[in-house]
Amino acid sequence: MPKDDFEPNIVAFLCNWCSYAGADLAGTSRIQYPPNVKIIRVMCSGRVNPLFIVNALQEGADGVLIGGCHPGDCHYIQGNYFARRRMGVLKKLLEYVGIDNRRVWMTWVSAAEGKKFADVISEVTENVRKLGPMKQIRRENSW
Amino acid sequence: MVDQKKLRDEAKKIISRDDVKYVIGWEKGTYGFQMTPLFATSEDDIDRLVFNPLCIHNLAVFPMLEEKLPLQKGSFEENEKIGIILKGCDSRAIVQIIQEKGLEKEKLIIIGVPCRGIIDYKKINKRFPHQTKNAVVEEDDKNFIINTNGKTQKIPKDELIMDKCKTCEFPNPVIYDVLIGDEIKTSKKPDYKKITSLENKKLDEKWSYWESQFEKCIRCYACRNVCPLCYCKECMVDQLNPQWVRRSVNVSENTAWNIMRAFHLAGRCIDCGECERVCPVGIPLSDLNKKLEKDVMELFNYKAGTDVKEKPLLSMFKPDDAEDFII
Repeated sequence: MPKDDFEPNIVAFLCNWCSYAGADLAGTSRIQYPPNVKIIRVMCSGRVNPLFIVNALQEGADGVLIGGCHPGDCHYIQGNYFARRRMGVLKKLLEYVGIDNRRVWMTWVSAAEGKKFADVISEVTENVRKLGPMKQIRRENSW
Repeated sequence: MVDQKKLRDEAKKIISRDDVKYVIGWEKGTYGFQMTPLFATSEDDIDRLVFNPLCIHNLAVFPMLEEKLPLQKGSFEENEKIGIILKGCDSRAIVQIIQEKGLEKEKLIIIGVPCRGIIDYKKINKRFPHQTKNAVVEEDDKNFIINTNGKTQKIPKDELIMDKCKTCEFPNPVIYDVLIGDEIKTSKKPDYKKITSLENKKLDEKWSYWESQFEKCIRCYACRNVCPLCYCKECMVDQLNPQWVRRSVNVSENTAWNIMRAFHLAGRCIDCGECERVCPVGIPLSDLNKKLEKDVMELFNYKAGTDVKEKPLLSMFKPDDAEDFII
């Protein structure tokens, strides 16, 4: 497949209280954003196990986005702080092993930021598009 | 050199207590330069106890491996203690476990032994191939005195010592009830030269290096089983529903396993080097662990297993943690 035709697959883990509502607002406000993103709703960005990210990259995602509330706004008070720590470490590790860490993104989107959500999705999609398909750890068999 | 008699006397004192179940230490292995863990339940067993530069095993893994059966109605958890002999690095593993509330300090009676470096069995087996009779190894300040088949040889420490011991910051146990001998002063600093040289490579080169390493993995999980800090009741790779990591052995699954194993030790690994030692295919797992140790130090100024009262790294946060990667 020529690189220009490549449409990246992006999995977004969005927290129920802010980012997911932000995505909802982007939809109800009829803001256009790239259709490459597949949204998975989680109750908190702190719910996102790094294993989910590695698994998504194995199963066909070219990029992963984690969306949480702004620091201090977390519905569970501190979940997004834990997530931030975890992702900081994971991104360094991925880079070290040779997987481009620009495939893993994290963002803070509040429930009122429909426009920001659309912008983030466009930015992530364009960045992952430049990187091309994820080849290194794609899962070939299902057992 | 640790005074063997003093060590045995202390161990005997501990085992003769009523509330102690057993004492974990080392004894002579079957052949060559092998040592094997000793579980002493009586004073007679203690006579077999030794400590010398061949005692490589991290005994901190055993208190966590102990099987705890479900309690019957009306019965209580036994309150028996375990005696354990710990080197500097091993004691940090115990500190880390206590921090995470995996164990209570009251359950353990710790005999600390200061350690001047342990012999790498790969290096010594290369030096003395086909050594089947038990060898006696002693040490002085700069040399190992190795007695094989009646012949004595002096070998400089730097040639045989494990790589991790060359940069060991903690020759003395961090936590102990009894310390055998005097504390050792050290000015060694951790060395991340190999890590930074790998870090500075291009992404493709890094991947081809690690791919060639992970390809070899047979997923025996020896690295997990020997690790004193991998003590989950059910490991994520053993889970069947959902099955995050498949059973098949290929680059994809092996990479997922190795990334996640390293990640689960982020801010917890105390670099005892056991995982690398037991790896049957020789994957440089310490390089992964050390990378995380370095990152955690740079990002959060945190060192695992130094203070019992500190919280584990990933279960705390600071409002001003680095967030340069967030858009």
